[in-house]
Amino acid sequence: MFSFVLFSLTRAWQGFWRNAVMSLAATATMVLMLLLLSGFWIIQTGLLAALQFTEQKVEVVAFLQTNATDAQVTELQDRLKAMPQVSSVAYVSRAEALVRFRASMAAQGREDLTRYLDANPLYASLEVKMVHPSQVPVVSDALRGDPSIRNIINIEDLAARVLTITNILRTAGTVVLVIVGVIALFIIINTIRLAVLARAEEIEVMRLVGASDAFIRWPFVFEGAFVGLLGSLLTLAILLAVADPLSAFMADFFRVLPLQFGSLTRDLIALVLGSGIGLGILGSWLSVRTYLIR
Amino acid sequence: MSVAPAPTPSRSIRRVLGRSQLQAKEERPVLVLHDVTKEYPNGKLALRDVDLVIPEGDFVFLVGPSGAGKSTLIKLLIRDEVATRGEVVLDGQDVARLGRRQVPKMRRKIGIIFQDFKLLPSKSVWENVAFALEVTGTPRRKVRPAVDRVLALVGLTAQAKQTPSQLSGGEQQRTAIARALVHDPRLIIADEPTGNLDPLISWEILQLLLRINELGVTVMMATHNAEVVTALRKRVVALEEGRIIRDELGGAYHRED
Repeated sequence: MFSFVLFSLTRAWQGFWRNAVMSLAATATMVLMLLLLSGFWIIQTGLLAALQFTEQKVEVVAFLQTNATDAQVTELQDRLKAMPQVSSVAYVSRAEALVRFRASMAAQGREDLTRYLDANPLYASLEVKMVHPSQVPVVSDALRGDPSIRNIINIEDLAARVLTITNILRTAGTVVLVIVGVIALFIIINTIRLAVLARAEEIEVMRLVGASDAFIRWPFVFEGAFVGLLGSLLTLAILLAVADPLSAFMADFFRVLPLQFGSLTRDLIALVLGSGIGLGILGSWLSVRTYLIR
Repeated sequence: MSVAPAPTPSRSIRRVLGRSQLQAKEERPVLVLHDVTKEYPNGKLALRDVDLVIPEGDFVFLVGPSGAGKSTLIKLLIRDEVATRGEVVLDGQDVARLGRRQVPKMRRKIGIIFQDFKLLPSKSVWENVAFALEVTGTPRRKVRPAVDRVLALVGLTAQAKQTPSQLSGGEQQRTAIARALVHDPRLIIADEPTGNLDPLISWEILQLLLRINELGVTVMMATHNAEVVTALRKRVVALEEGRIIRDELGGAYHRED
């Protein structure tokens, strides 16, 4: 068994270098396809994070009557927190609302007109965040009619639109990723098939002299795995080289996003290594199979 | 003087032969074809009711025009194809009943030589021969003596390190013969082994095959080379349109009566 594995590995190594041009062509194709795949995957990950962030921005804001008592407000808050659709409730007092307003005016470089007023014109409010934005109607219905509430900003329509757009983008992103994945799969398998085809003579001789299927198959499978490993490592090296400028760009582009680059890197390594080696093995397995089954 | 085909149709062909042929030769035939018919999926009938017995140590010429069924016959023997009807029994085993794992082991009992040699261009003579042993899982220590022995037998010891492109046609064919011999086969099948060689070299290859036959290996040679067949007066099996039309000992390439 050990000598068989050793034999197959040795033959795989020799096979790779004896047909260096073909093997390197297969590796290069593999690198290109993996780069394409990881590029789309990174974009998809960024897109998903952006969509999630956008969805989190959807909230129901309920302005409170000026005469609402603390007890009424606390009771209302407790009632909201008890709802399973609600993820958080924040109370914004009138003073706080004014501070925010002034800050936002200052940030936009506009004159603060509130200082000409002798009283705070703003209302206190409850900012309710949902577990999922589709639950906006449920929460605003629950708030409607409460005596301590002055008015609710009607964002049902907006929430629905945001949801439609994010869902379309999510589906489109997934579809594109799957299409790119399938294309990469076919191109890689086909390239490896060509590399095996170039050795058809050798396979024929092996069959004629009575080599068992395992002796014919495994060297090619190991060779395919080797092409996959080499291709993945080269791809990762290229990605690493462009990672800094890329993540600078990403951070710039998705400035507001809490992107986890640590887990992105880990997933990307797994994706590239897994699909590279997996496709290498699959490709050579399928290619050799054509010669074995008669 | 013609060799009668195996008589009664029977599943247990070995028992039948045990009474007739085996008693005559006192050995099990290397190859028995019994009522073999091969029809390809496209409807072409390549072989029809072929009966053939090749005893141990025989030297048989297989002759006939192109398309007569010689190649199909060889494909059946190495189980590249399976007979539509009838039995192909090699060394006592019905090849059609072999499992996938047993086919390679059966093929090691056959050494096969082709017109186009089928040598691997990137390997040396020595490596080409050793390849046949390596890919069948022969332990490393047994490879070297076996390869050296057959290379000496075919007279290529001095050329062991050269690649096929550095060799003459005759030397390439001798390398192929060495590769065919390295498994100690029961049967050597030579498919037009002299087809690409000039007459002088053809004789050289034929002498080598005769010597191997003298060492006890059964040889079956498909050929178009009338001169060689007629001169040697060995057993001649003639195929035409998928049938054996002639099977005689000491025969010529063409019918003589």
